[in-house]
Amino acid sequence: MRKAVITLILILMAMSLTSCYDANEFDDIIHVVAIGIDKGVSDQWRLTIQFPTMKESGGSEQSGSGSGKSQEEYTCVSIDAPSFFAGINMLNTSLPRKLNFMHAQIILFSEELAESGLINEYIAPINRFREIRKTSHVFVVKGKAYDLMKENKPFIGNLLFKSFQLLIKEGAMTGYFPHVTLENFSEGLKSTYHQPIAAIAAVNNGKSFIENGEPSGTEFKTGGEYSAGRIPRTGDNKIEIWGTALFVRDTMVGELDGDETRYLLLARGEFERGFFTIQDPQKPELVISLDIRSSREPEIKVTCDGSKPIIRLNVLLDGDLLAVQSGIDYEKPEHKELLEQAFRQIVKDGIEKLINKCKDLNTDALLFGDYAVKNFLTINDWESYDWNNRFKEADITVNVEFAIRRTGTQAKN
Amino acid sequence: MITEGKIGVREAIWLVTLAISAKMFFASPSMLVGLVGNTGWYMTLISAVTALAGFMFIYLLLKRFPGRDIMEIFDITLGRVLGFAFSGILAIYLLFKAVTRIAEFNEVIKVYVFPLSPNWLITGIYVICVFTLCILGLESIARFAKLLIYFMLAGFLVVLILSSQNYNPNYLYPILGYGLDKTLLHGVVRSSVYGEVILLAVFAQSLQGLKHIKKEGVIGILLSAVLISLSLLSYILTFPYYTERDITAPMYEMATFIDYGRFLQRVEPIFLFVWITSTLISSTIVTYSFIWIYCRIFRMQDKKPICIAGCILLYAAVLMHKDIETVLDYVQWLRNYGAIFVFILPLVSLATAFIRKKGAKAHA
Repeated sequence: MRKAVITLILILMAMSLTSCYDANEFDDIIHVVAIGIDKGVSDQWRLTIQFPTMKESGGSEQSGSGSGKSQEEYTCVSIDAPSFFAGINMLNTSLPRKLNFMHAQIILFSEELAESGLINEYIAPINRFREIRKTSHVFVVKGKAYDLMKENKPFIGNLLFKSFQLLIKEGAMTGYFPHVTLENFSEGLKSTYHQPIAAIAAVNNGKSFIENGEPSGTEFKTGGEYSAGRIPRTGDNKIEIWGTALFVRDTMVGELDGDETRYLLLARGEFERGFFTIQDPQKPELVISLDIRSSREPEIKVTCDGSKPIIRLNVLLDGDLLAVQSGIDYEKPEHKELLEQAFRQIVKDGIEKLINKCKDLNTDALLFGDYAVKNFLTINDWESYDWNNRFKEADITVNVEFAIRRTGTQAKN
Repeated sequence: MITEGKIGVREAIWLVTLAISAKMFFASPSMLVGLVGNTGWYMTLISAVTALAGFMFIYLLLKRFPGRDIMEIFDITLGRVLGFAFSGILAIYLLFKAVTRIAEFNEVIKVYVFPLSPNWLITGIYVICVFTLCILGLESIARFAKLLIYFMLAGFLVVLILSSQNYNPNYLYPILGYGLDKTLLHGVVRSSVYGEVILLAVFAQSLQGLKHIKKEGVIGILLSAVLISLSLLSYILTFPYYTERDITAPMYEMATFIDYGRFLQRVEPIFLFVWITSTLISSTIVTYSFIWIYCRIFRMQDKKPICIAGCILLYAAVLMHKDIETVLDYVQWLRNYGAIFVFILPLVSLATAFIRKKGAKAHA
């Protein structure tokens, strides 16, 4: 009897290992890649989701090229719904598979939504939803999220997941846009320390790229002064991530271009590396390119003893010489010092301009509040000080330390 | 009278440590942030010191009655009726604790991992495991705990270390949270977090003598304090106070944030292993102690029927809560008043022993 019971239990256990009766196979589920949110017309939300169509892509098909191929592999559907979850259920009635958001990496909010101060209302349900990982990336879209998602196709290779991951990784290598996850953004919305930011995504329709015309003059441009969607470029990939959206609580109040974003990341300690182009200090009509990286976290000291906060910011950078058009020997100590001094001044001016812009918009996007809090012993003291409204009164001193460490593959010009 | 085999010093230490520290995986840290702000990581050290003081009373009581467990000591010091009542109250408290822990586990795992699985199934499978271990007895539970603890500690440390990419030391400020007075008050009141140390008194006859009980209790509390403090510190370094208080299970959330590129992300299954096994051992030993006290106070000769009845009772009670908020209210109640059951009852017994001149010292 005992043996029979044990055998029966073992058989039942073995059967249970074959999975549940209601298990979902991998291809029973639609794995959503991107979620776009706009203000709806027929209802409050316009929810757009992008997912792979899971159409078979045989070897012969893969050898074929062209954008039509990627259109087949990913598709978008949109719906106007009263809520995010109602939208999912409504969409599930027209989709033959269950929507699953476990692999959603991209969350896009339209600029209109961000500026209307309603982003918290839209992000709260997403934040609570267990399927959406807090490590998903948040972007504010210039124009409509719906329009951008229609253009969101894998440009190189077939995988949109991978394309986007690599694109985001590039942010760290250029400094032209911040890396903001759903957790970072949601935390910023509630923060007593600082205000939230988000990267800006846009469709570049190529209008800024003037194919034929007068050649550019000698007017100096850094390359970072453009705003999202207006970079003079052309090509099949229409999507670009560029710049930063500034918020006060849940309202988008401003935008930073590529250069300003770099200075923001420098001050926040989030800048890793980027190529800077500056005017040659001795021949301003020519340029010098530098490979810049943070040597250490910025040193930030904040005191809140007096009537207004006093902030000292010290940014520490290292760089390598990449190109010197003028042929001047900047490897020599006296010239090197001149170049270092010029770059220090450029970064200092850039950060000061950015700080003034943030003060005007009353948004501490630079994370100074994270350091100001050290002046307070209790949360009640800190919250009654109301840092986010006191930041604009702050007296801020910026210092930049910079040294050229290497001169590239040429020791001398 | 039923008897139980002996367990070693290390097994007892790990058993107590696991029983105490399993609660750091649930909603308690979030509730704590709501009460004291970002000071939970050192508030728990105040709780540990208070619990050590409480344990000293338990130890003095056991020392006064060598070779006896707490149920017998209650009978001797307070008389059969009051002793029975004290032991019964302790048993009910432990059952309530086991119920709350499994209910909390059940709710949190439904929120994060198995949203479609019905409560009865999750709880049922869990209670079957608890029942199996209870039937096998204290020795098996202790050895199982010792077997798994190294893997669990390794998993726990891996999660803490990998999470360091998201640590922000500025979140430790304001350093006094909602005020030192609140931190001190809640630190003392919430000493019941370490209340599972009472298990050493419940199973005193299965341990290696008084000297070892003292060592097991002190090391168990200190080890748990280090683990709980480390986990609370890592939570507050990851989540600022204004977001942490809203999170259902900070440890799980923290594990989901680990992202070292495409090759190292989505590592929360490591944490799930730590979470499930530690909760299983923790709730099993607490349930078993209820069964054990019940058998002792009713002078039962066989624990198996009580294991069956106890686990059915456990299963039914776990399913009886209304919603997750109710469970969290129970947890809060246990934290606030638990010290009465685990430290005050033995203290009353000790005081009575002094007054009535009962015990070894009285006869010396």
